[in-house]
Amino acid sequence: MNTHVKPGIWRRTGNARTAFLYLLPSVILFSVFVFYPMFRTIYLSFFLTNQNGEAALHVGFENFAYLLESSAFLNSMKATVLFVLYTVPIGIIIALFFALLANEKLKGIGFFRTVYSSTMGISVAASSVIWLFLFHPSVGVFNRVLSVLNFPQIQWLLDPEWALISVSISTIWMNTGFSFLILLGGLQNIDEHLYESSRIDGAGYFYRLRRITIPMLSPTLFFIITISLINAFQSFGQIDILTKGGPSQSTNLIVYSIYREAFINYQFGTASAQAVILFIIILIVTILQFKFGERKVHYQ
Amino acid sequence: MMSIKMKSGVLKRMRNLLKSSLFWILILSLAVLTACTNSDSNTNDEKSNEDKPGTDETAGKVSIEFWHAMSGTGQESLDAIVEGFNESQDKYEVKAEFQGTYEESLTKLRSVGGTKDAPAITQVFEVGTKYMIDSGYIEPVQSFIDKDNFDLSTLEQNILNYYKVDGELYSMPFNSSTPVMIYNKTAFEKAGLDPEKAPETFSEVIATAEKLKTDDMFGFSMLTYGWFFEQLVATQGGLYVNEDNGRSGDATEALFNGPEGLNVFNFLDTMNKAGTFGNFGTNWDDIRAAFASQKVAMYMDSSAGVAGAIANAPFDVGVAYIPYADEVQRNGVVIGGASLWMSKGIAENEQEAAWEFMKYMTTPEVQAKWHLDTGYFAINPKAYDEENVKEKWAEFPQFKVTVEQLQDTVPGIATQGALISVFPESRQQIVTALEDLYQGADPQEVLDQAAEGTNRAMEIANKTKK
Repeated sequence: MNTHVKPGIWRRTGNARTAFLYLLPSVILFSVFVFYPMFRTIYLSFFLTNQNGEAALHVGFENFAYLLESSAFLNSMKATVLFVLYTVPIGIIIALFFALLANEKLKGIGFFRTVYSSTMGISVAASSVIWLFLFHPSVGVFNRVLSVLNFPQIQWLLDPEWALISVSISTIWMNTGFSFLILLGGLQNIDEHLYESSRIDGAGYFYRLRRITIPMLSPTLFFIITISLINAFQSFGQIDILTKGGPSQSTNLIVYSIYREAFINYQFGTASAQAVILFIIILIVTILQFKFGERKVHYQ
Repeated sequence: MMSIKMKSGVLKRMRNLLKSSLFWILILSLAVLTACTNSDSNTNDEKSNEDKPGTDETAGKVSIEFWHAMSGTGQESLDAIVEGFNESQDKYEVKAEFQGTYEESLTKLRSVGGTKDAPAITQVFEVGTKYMIDSGYIEPVQSFIDKDNFDLSTLEQNILNYYKVDGELYSMPFNSSTPVMIYNKTAFEKAGLDPEKAPETFSEVIATAEKLKTDDMFGFSMLTYGWFFEQLVATQGGLYVNEDNGRSGDATEALFNGPEGLNVFNFLDTMNKAGTFGNFGTNWDDIRAAFASQKVAMYMDSSAGVAGAIANAPFDVGVAYIPYADEVQRNGVVIGGASLWMSKGIAENEQEAAWEFMKYMTTPEVQAKWHLDTGYFAINPKAYDEENVKEKWAEFPQFKVTVEQLQDTVPGIATQGALISVFPESRQQIVTALEDLYQGADPQEVLDQAAEGTNRAMEIANKTKK
């Protein structure tokens, strides 16, 4: 028992080996479904592919150079950034507003909580089809209402000026349920005593909101902002169903453009190059967010 | 001491357990890994035959898969036809499987093409023709036609023209359609126009659209879809790409931005600027709904949409030939739709089964049923002599117009249709060009951009070709 021999390397790394064994299942799964596709994507982005999608011609950084000069791709980037700006802040503010409302202790509040979070239960495809009917140029509800009110008709999905806004509106609607649910959960976790003592000190509703609710909610808010940002960058289903990237490329977000390049045009090389660029953008945004956003987060 | 010993014993056992469970996880993951890599490799010959159709020992029937992209009424009709084939004989059994849209089923085919797992028959859209020929996945049906002395002259020549490449038929035509102009006869009457005489040339359409335009109704519309543009170019005798529309060699340059293409864009631009053109986007259902709800008086549709237009419209519907530029002769239309491709690399008896099924599909009875159910053409003109077709034509003479337009088509390189492997991409370029045009961009400029995009796509395709 009391041997003073220095333990061998095998024994010293015992903990590390055990840890690795515990990690192994997730390492394998990640390798198969995340890392391998990722490296494959990076590999393909340096090639032009033939009609069967196999790497055929090594072109180095030519795909990237082409993309950064292509007005279509720059337009995609612009549309994506606009889309993120339209959907994320508004979506979170609306969800926060609903969550604050639904956090009040009233009779029958359960009904409203269910209603506000109900959009989470509808798939992107199903809700996009519903919105497709609402936006319909000749028989859609919105244009009917506008004509009843004597306003000029709007070509919701056909006018390049409007299409991105229309898609954003439907996206906000789809995402609100999830954000609402997470934020409501965050609100419910805030200690009641904080409110009680502040009430005794005579703090008003908005003072409490600003000084207690928002700071205590900040970890949840940070989480939902990060998730919403990534989701917004990766939006695909609603684009595919509502506009297919049109009109005039105004809703051709990067993910949709990748899909089109890969599975309609069979250009896996340029598609992969776009995917790599998107990956870098999301990486940068997330790093920036952790660097600057997290400072304002108050962990208990 | 004892307790320590016990502990280490427990630890040992736990470690053993851990090791063994890890071992299983490892095996499992490896299985997943190999399964994944297997599905993308094309050299998957050793895979067992159990889970795929082939010779079924017990029934003694050869069973094959048939991938198609027909949904809705097309699928119902197709299922009934397949069932009819299975009951008509006892040697072969065909299993029809819906694989999503044309694009989706083609993507799926790419992962199994050329292997034993490929379906014996796949339905591929007309613009995939060049891709399929180049892919090496397929057995040209010409080899069976020669072996079997099958008489091709029974089939519609204008349809065969499209699918024949270098005088050889690679796939069996199946569902074929062409564009037509559909118009609202009641609106023509209201505007004081002759409802039996549809405008024929671009300038006539422009003038008629002007007269038909009211506060609620546009004069003319066209789905924002490359196919219609191709047709309007072809009917003027214009070529889409060089190398005789890609039929005498690999096309390297787009020609659709020439005078014929510009005619089409100017035609649309004139009406758009005059406010008589209604833009209803890229969705077939939207433009059809607009016509049925009297938001537009004339529009371009596929001949396969005629039945629906007549059924849905609460007014009299007229069908006419597609318009052409004033200064040229009308050449007619290019065939659209899809054809049936036979796989290479599958068992010989499966290919025979596929061939038998294809022959069955070309019989007048089947084609008559298909034509009536869907509005697609009968690829066997004898189908038009069938009693039920005659009855339907008497009731709806509009159907006849679509067939006449096809039969009036002047055979030539233009109406044979272009053959390029990057058609889906090129169509996307045209859609963008049209959308930009409707926003007021210069016709020649947007056409040139589309041509440039198509050129690049063709260049890459030629560079990477095996």
